[in-house]
Amino acid sequence: MTTYIIRRFLFLAFVLFGVSVLIFSILMTFSPERRAMAYVKSPQQVKDLPIIVKQLGLDDPFHIQYFRWIRQVSSGNWGYSFVAAMPVWDAFWYYFPITLELNLYTIPIIIIFGIWLGTVSGIHRDTWVDHSTRIFAIIGWSLPTFLFALIILMFFYGYFNVFPPGIIDDGFNVWIRENPDQFKRYTYLYTLDGLLNGRPDITLDAISRLVMPVFTQVVVVVAILLRVMRSSMIEEISKDNAITALAKGADHHTIYFKHARKNALIPVVTVAGWLAAYSMEGSIAIEYIFNRQGIGWWLANAAISLDLPVLMGICLFFGLVYVIINLILDILYAYIDPRIRLN
Amino acid sequence: MSKLIETIDLVTNFYTHEGVVKALDKVSLCVDHGCTFGLVGESGCGKSVTVRSMMRIIQEPGKIDGGKVLFYPGNNGSETAIDLLQQSEATMKALRGDKISMIFQEPNSALNPIMSIGEQVAESFLFHRKKEMSQQILMDMDASISKANPLKSILKALYRLAATRPEALILKLFSKTPLLKSWENRLHKEAMRRAVEIIAKLSIPHAQDIARRYPHNLSGGMKQRIVIAIALACNPLLLIADEATSNLDVTIQAQILDLLKDLKQKVISSVLLITHDLGIVAETCDRVGVMYAGNLCEVADVKDLFSEPRHPYTRALLNAVPRFAHEGELESIEGNVPNLVNPPSGCRFHPRCRDAKSICKDAFPESTKVGNNHQVACFLYTEKSREKS
Repeated sequence: MTTYIIRRFLFLAFVLFGVSVLIFSILMTFSPERRAMAYVKSPQQVKDLPIIVKQLGLDDPFHIQYFRWIRQVSSGNWGYSFVAAMPVWDAFWYYFPITLELNLYTIPIIIIFGIWLGTVSGIHRDTWVDHSTRIFAIIGWSLPTFLFALIILMFFYGYFNVFPPGIIDDGFNVWIRENPDQFKRYTYLYTLDGLLNGRPDITLDAISRLVMPVFTQVVVVVAILLRVMRSSMIEEISKDNAITALAKGADHHTIYFKHARKNALIPVVTVAGWLAAYSMEGSIAIEYIFNRQGIGWWLANAAISLDLPVLMGICLFFGLVYVIINLILDILYAYIDPRIRLN
Repeated sequence: MSKLIETIDLVTNFYTHEGVVKALDKVSLCVDHGCTFGLVGESGCGKSVTVRSMMRIIQEPGKIDGGKVLFYPGNNGSETAIDLLQQSEATMKALRGDKISMIFQEPNSALNPIMSIGEQVAESFLFHRKKEMSQQILMDMDASISKANPLKSILKALYRLAATRPEALILKLFSKTPLLKSWENRLHKEAMRRAVEIIAKLSIPHAQDIARRYPHNLSGGMKQRIVIAIALACNPLLLIADEATSNLDVTIQAQILDLLKDLKQKVISSVLLITHDLGIVAETCDRVGVMYAGNLCEVADVKDLFSEPRHPYTRALLNAVPRFAHEGELESIEGNVPNLVNPPSGCRFHPRCRDAKSICKDAFPESTKVGNNHQVACFLYTEKSREKS
């Protein structure tokens, strides 16, 4: 098991290398002049473009530029984001906790809720329980995120004035910025920092603003997990080994939860990991509509204004997320399935 | 010989989207104590459905729609008969794997791929032998010389309860709660010890080691032995072998059959063997039932069936099997197995039958006695018997 994990880690390094080469190749498809534009601050400087290209070595061979870039990236210099008006590295740590906070609540709810609903729906196939979960899944899956988000925002915030958008109340925000010694930013997650600083009112406010984006994301994303779990559960229940267990004298509860579910989880783990990664990328629609300026929001703005250092940094970050989630998946697989553990 | 299990007019249908598949139509057969009963027929003729109906493990969308399955657990005749179709699911659960157990066709899929062999065999004991195991654990605990402590006395109290009333609510509560459920550890250990014992009994080398492995580590023949070990764990009265050897190669097949024969003499009372291989039937069975399209056409002692097959289908089936003295081409049975959504009227074999008459189309032949312990469902014999009388 340990050798397996070590091997996975080595593999991880290779994958990251591949991801970085790919990302850099995409950057290199832009002409040196286009890339030099990132350093141009005023219209007068445009005539200096060839000089900038020469100075920065933007027309050097690919591998030289690549290693120069890698050296800088690994020393924390990710470039300057003009969208965020600060270095990419700092901006990342400004936007990332906001996306992370959303996902910290979304991903566990999606996974637990999806597996639970899928199991129930698979066991009680073709009953009203199954039909209603399937209708729920179809609605969640086919309704565009932005539409669903707008509807519930209008309904709850517009009509009942509960669950406001945003990240934190403006009053709190100002107070936090003015009193950095009274409100220490331990984690940069408002819900946790509020508790750690003994300000449950801030936590409550942050949670009330999280309810709707979390709800939207869960409804939209859980459908896939639920459907995979359901079909996988149905398949496992009708498999021969479930009948063997039945013939052995097992009751249905044992068959469903001891025999079938663990087997049924194997494909679900893959989907769950994929969904977690997808969710970590930050949903642009959700972050825009609920006014939460996270990674997705930043990425969208950077893409519109071709803020190249941001795009590269975020791509590298996504690569890292996928690689880490794959690592977690591999370990989970080995834990669930002995057939993987041994080879 | 006294009866062990008997089906009377068993009807099982599958309610599919294409229509109702009439998989079993009034199947009546009887297995005696100490008998090896062979059930033969083409694939799809309802052999497996018959035995699964007997154990009530028919999967959705199948449903047992009529008839009786009488089980005589005692050795003393009909007064102790229980109709399995009338029993509660809880009673059935207690019977399955304990009194009646089953071996399946495909050893590769019959075992759970992510549970260790030992765990899977031990489950049988955990389902059916909780009381005995608890008693044994209590005795072991009394015998051990370590000092009494409060934890141990709580454990003892739990096992005492498990030995008398294994269904007690508090035990269920304990088994469901994390951490608290570790009270069962000794039970699991004991079940595992018994599992290793039964695996070793089936002449599997390194039983201790095998028990820790997973199904994908074992060969097909080995897996089938494990499936047999699971079925035999609680010394059942009836072992149903559903094509237990069909997917194994010939040498392994012979080994498994020898093992079954051997076990039948030592441990099990009766065997119900499903197969499409007439050679196996001739070699191992005492009585044979021939099935066609959800009907039982002929039941006879094995010698009578091979020497004097009466039903046209049985004859055709026997003609399709190569023999030593055979010359020329083998005969095949004309036509196809009927679709059971719309089975042929009357006798289901009449469209393919050489001796079919007009009556075969209109009426269903009742089973008639044609000799010593020999029954046939065919109009050829009902009319003959009518003429005589």
